[in-house]
Amino acid sequence: MVKIENLSFCYPNSEEASLHGIDLEIRPGECVLLCGESGCGKTTVTRLLNGLIPHYYEGTLEGRAEVCGADIRETPPEQLSAKVGSVFQNPRSQFFCVDTTGELAFGCENMELPEDEIRARIAKTVREMQIEALLDRNIFNLSGGEKQKIACAGISAMQPELLVLDEPTSNLDADAIGMLAEILKLWKQSGKTVVIAEHRLGWLSETADRIILLQNGEITAEYGNAEFFSKTDAELNSLGLRGCRAETDWLHGDAGFYPCDPAAPASAEAYRFCDFRFAYQKHRPVLQLDGLEIPKHAVVAVVGHNGAGKTTFSRCLCGLQKHFKGSIRCGDAVYGSKQLRALCYMVMQDVNHQLFTDSVLEEVMLGMHAPDEAAALDILARMDLTAFRDRHPMSLSGGQKQRTAVCSACLSDREILIFDEPTSGLDFRRMQETAALIRELRKDKTIFIVTHDMELIAKCCTHILRLERMPEA
Amino acid sequence: MKPQSNKLTGKDLINVGIYSAIYFVIVFLIAMLGMVPVLYPMLVVFCPIVGGIPFMLFLTKVRKPGMIFIMSIIMGVMMLVTGMGIYPLIVSVFSGLISELVFRKGNYRSAGMAVLTNGTFSLWVWACFLLLFLNRDSFMASRAESIGQDYVTALDKLTPNWLCPVLLAVCFICGVLGGLLGKKMLHKHFEKAGIA
Amino acid sequence: MNGLFQANIADRGILLDPRTKLFALLTIIVFVLGGMGTLAPEWLNVLISITPLVFLCSAKQWGKALGFGAVYAAADLFLIYGVNSVNGAGKYLLIMLCTLIVRILPGMIMGAYLFASTTVSEFIAAMHRMHMPVQLTIPMSVMFRFFPTVLEEFFSINSAMKMRDIRFGGKNADKMIEYRIVPLLICSARIGSELSAAALTRGLSTGTRRTNICRIGFRMPDLIVFAIMLCPYLLLILKKAGAVSW
Repeated sequence: MVKIENLSFCYPNSEEASLHGIDLEIRPGECVLLCGESGCGKTTVTRLLNGLIPHYYEGTLEGRAEVCGADIRETPPEQLSAKVGSVFQNPRSQFFCVDTTGELAFGCENMELPEDEIRARIAKTVREMQIEALLDRNIFNLSGGEKQKIACAGISAMQPELLVLDEPTSNLDADAIGMLAEILKLWKQSGKTVVIAEHRLGWLSETADRIILLQNGEITAEYGNAEFFSKTDAELNSLGLRGCRAETDWLHGDAGFYPCDPAAPASAEAYRFCDFRFAYQKHRPVLQLDGLEIPKHAVVAVVGHNGAGKTTFSRCLCGLQKHFKGSIRCGDAVYGSKQLRALCYMVMQDVNHQLFTDSVLEEVMLGMHAPDEAAALDILARMDLTAFRDRHPMSLSGGQKQRTAVCSACLSDREILIFDEPTSGLDFRRMQETAALIRELRKDKTIFIVTHDMELIAKCCTHILRLERMPEA
Repeated sequence: MKPQSNKLTGKDLINVGIYSAIYFVIVFLIAMLGMVPVLYPMLVVFCPIVGGIPFMLFLTKVRKPGMIFIMSIIMGVMMLVTGMGIYPLIVSVFSGLISELVFRKGNYRSAGMAVLTNGTFSLWVWACFLLLFLNRDSFMASRAESIGQDYVTALDKLTPNWLCPVLLAVCFICGVLGGLLGKKMLHKHFEKAGIA
Repeated sequence: MNGLFQANIADRGILLDPRTKLFALLTIIVFVLGGMGTLAPEWLNVLISITPLVFLCSAKQWGKALGFGAVYAAADLFLIYGVNSVNGAGKYLLIMLCTLIVRILPGMIMGAYLFASTTVSEFIAAMHRMHMPVQLTIPMSVMFRFFPTVLEEFFSINSAMKMRDIRFGGKNADKMIEYRIVPLLICSARIGSELSAAALTRGLSTGTRRTNICRIGFRMPDLIVFAIMLCPYLLLILKKAGAVSW
């Protein structure tokens, strides 16, 4: 199915090759998991398999690669598409139509199949994946998991031989990952070959036949299913991988607010939530947190299923939600909706939205009421960003961008920080760095983390706030 | 790599679509200012200038003939279907062709030619005002027959014919200014961020 | 802006083929906005001007229908009966404003209805049937797909600016455009390049003649709208031939 021989690839503008001397053979019907730290080259391998390298991402390619009998140098992705289907990381950027049915048909339409054939294939796929409820919907109104399901179904309808998935779960919650695991089983049963590049490993323990570890662009180890999944989390961590044991699953615990780390010292002072409720439509409350007390210096993990109101919660807390009337009290101080903006700061999931200027130093000083360069340099040093002070924020790595955003929050004296999915798509080392950053910040801030990353919760959170969809009043 | 052919690929067409969307949204948001009647004529100033930023970024993706022309036509079509009349579409055909020629003159690389290209490309904005001048008398002809000569004179005062070429010139000049602004942004942001 | 082909499929009134709506729009543009009262009798202009009203009502968009109807009627009635009751400097401005409303508004409303009641798939299918080249249909479908994305990014950036307390006025006034547009462009361009990679791996290319499974076609309501919209053209021809006059 796939034969790669002594292959090296280097992206333009990069000094170091992303892959060197890769030899890889994949037999029909196999399910292969590629894992390794960010930047190890696993995404690059998936791009080779669907022909995006060297035709879309140009660069220097040496060696040979053959996919489904075609030499990838000679075969652009659009020609490979009938045989190789791809699912990508970001559910928001991989659909082409606005309505779901059109999206399911899109690939088949490009194959110039007759209309009746396309309808039959869609019907079959919809039945197999049980997505009847998603038909004829506006894709922009679907959740991330539903979007990813539509992406898989659209690929399935094209009936490719090889499926290539590039970190398909990094933006998904536990429920959606479960659905994706089912789809994967379905593909495997019908004899498809599957290649997945992934950080999260647990959901693949039943399907992956062969696990390939990449480090710095080379294949350094290969494991069978039993051998790999019997490793302890500590062993996996030492390879730079995320653990795959089922950690305490807070998503299925009780709703409400409770401590998860008994050792965490409790502060006497607390923020009290008053009138903290919100509804988009009458009689359909989304949020109801009256009387909640969050001790200062707590690190609160905000968890909950899709649609439980996590986004609304963080928007209300930051004072961004229109028509929100609630407030937070701390001692004698009362923070209403407007004042919350000066009290809280959110580090968004896509940090790119909150970087505006052309240098890191200027960026962190942007929100200061009285510009104080010494204080700015001091905080940059604390966050390991001194070396990047003159770089353009958008050219930094994801973690550096996150820290830049944190710097600007610290400089504008916010007491409460909210992180929205800070570790989506991060490997073990980077997740640990984020956890360390949060533990450090805890000394003088109170922190909320909206997340579904149980490993992160175990590493740095002191409390759990579990939200649940409210019953209709 | 294979030698670059001049035929537009799927990637090129998608790029045209993406930048048309960004360009149109930005210009549309600015056009909201035009809802204040006094600012309406100022659109020939604002739209070409601010539109220069996305357009200059778009030009860094253009290496073949055709892409600018298609984007120009799309702007004309969008004006047609949003009820601005047929003139923007007609003008966009010509201004699109001229823009193609100008940018080609710079071998699809020259920054100076790119700035000029924004000037010619922006002319569709001016075309939205054409209906105030062409067939003006019948356009402005009122249902009330008793208004008479005073009205025609007042109309002439508000939108005299010489204003039409002046707006054209203003539109072009602002397009060039927008191109310069876009060029500055390319250096300041997009090149450093690695997307230009 | 939410109306740009984000049709709420369940509730959009009379089901018309996109081509019918396009033809209605063109007719309004030619006769109401373009050539004006000279091309067709005034009563016919009024008739085609208020067809969008019928469409809006059928889609139960009462608010929009009422707003459009009221503004249009007020402007038109003023021009017919009210002109001489006003005097002073504002008179001609008022006349101009009302004339503009009567001329431009019907086309804009029709355009807005076209967007609000058509899905992207239908629009592309219609373009396909009208034998538009892929060089135009692909960019346009990408554009319509991308509008909501650009707006999503715009609103996220807006929220981020509020949180940072970056507002109009103050020391950052001159940078407002830069702060808004630069991140918008960078984020959108990134999403765009991912989108284009995804589309290629699903076989989008210029060489193929794509199938289109979206079912559109002319039905009874289409024929009625066509019949009404053909009237002004017919009358125009008859007038040119000297058979009628008004």
